[in-house]
Amino acid sequence: MSKPLGHEEFFASLTTLLTSTSQKTRGSVYLTQKPLLPTSTDQTSTTISPPSILIRATDGNTNAPNPKSASEDKNIKKKSKESKAKLSTVVQPDELETFYAKYAEVCKAGMTGLKKRDRKQKKAKGKGGAGKVSKA
Amino acid sequence: MPSSPYLPTSAAFLKESSLLLQAYPDSTLITTKYTFPSSKPSSKSSKPSTKSDSTATATTPLATLVLKTYNPVSGICLKYKTNKAAEVGRLITALGLLAGGADISLLDVAVPAAGTAGGEEDGAVVTPTTGGAAASMGAGSNTGAGVSKGKGKGKGKKGKK
Repeated sequence: MSKPLGHEEFFASLTTLLTSTSQKTRGSVYLTQKPLLPTSTDQTSTTISPPSILIRATDGNTNAPNPKSASEDKNIKKKSKESKAKLSTVVQPDELETFYAKYAEVCKAGMTGLKKRDRKQKKAKGKGGAGKVSKA
Repeated sequence: MPSSPYLPTSAAFLKESSLLLQAYPDSTLITTKYTFPSSKPSSKSSKPSTKSDSTATATTPLATLVLKTYNPVSGICLKYKTNKAAEVGRLITALGLLAGGADISLLDVAVPAAGTAGGEEDGAVVTPTTGGAAASMGAGSNTGAGVSKGKGKGKGKKGKK
């Protein structure tokens, strides 16, 4: 298990992971979050403070090239060993807000494969508006 | 366990998720999956070169975002699926609030502040009880109507297919 990264490092790597996946239009990125429970020694001191949040990101090896096609391309074959991306970071309770603000930005920027509302919106509006005008 | 259904709206998902997190704050895991539809390897392998990719990009596969809140202790799993880029920011911010242990009342206040959509929180606020799926669904349908009103017909699947 790799050590948790700093936030900036995590975001940088996550951006790369998301954009590369989006560009390939193939594969997946899995983001998980769960409370990081104190170790058993700490449990005696029942502090009220909420636990830190552990954030993980991985591509689940879905960006690995197809093994059949990889055998034909040496470059891809070389990359396949290290292709599984795993990132993690720990967020302290008091950092949650700032972290998630950035997190949301990174995800928004990186997940370009999703349906974009803006373009459709403009088109729909244009058509609708024109239609209404002509009817009126 | 029964197969976990997709909740109809993000508001319903976040509401149910916050309830699950409140019930099991220590053991609940939230997963966000950003995924492209998988191409069948068998069909691709018949065409040896990567040129088959160019034909695939012509159609531009649309990614989907699946949010999943899972609690292994109770076996409860909640899911929400979307393919709208506009929802990402709002959802992630909401996940942050969930992670911080925000309860529903806080969530209702905070979500609209984070996002641009206006209709959603109204429905959620109207149902102050620990509302079940029915209440949430009601709120959701309102949301859908509100959004589609504002954004035109682009929201439905009609435009795509």
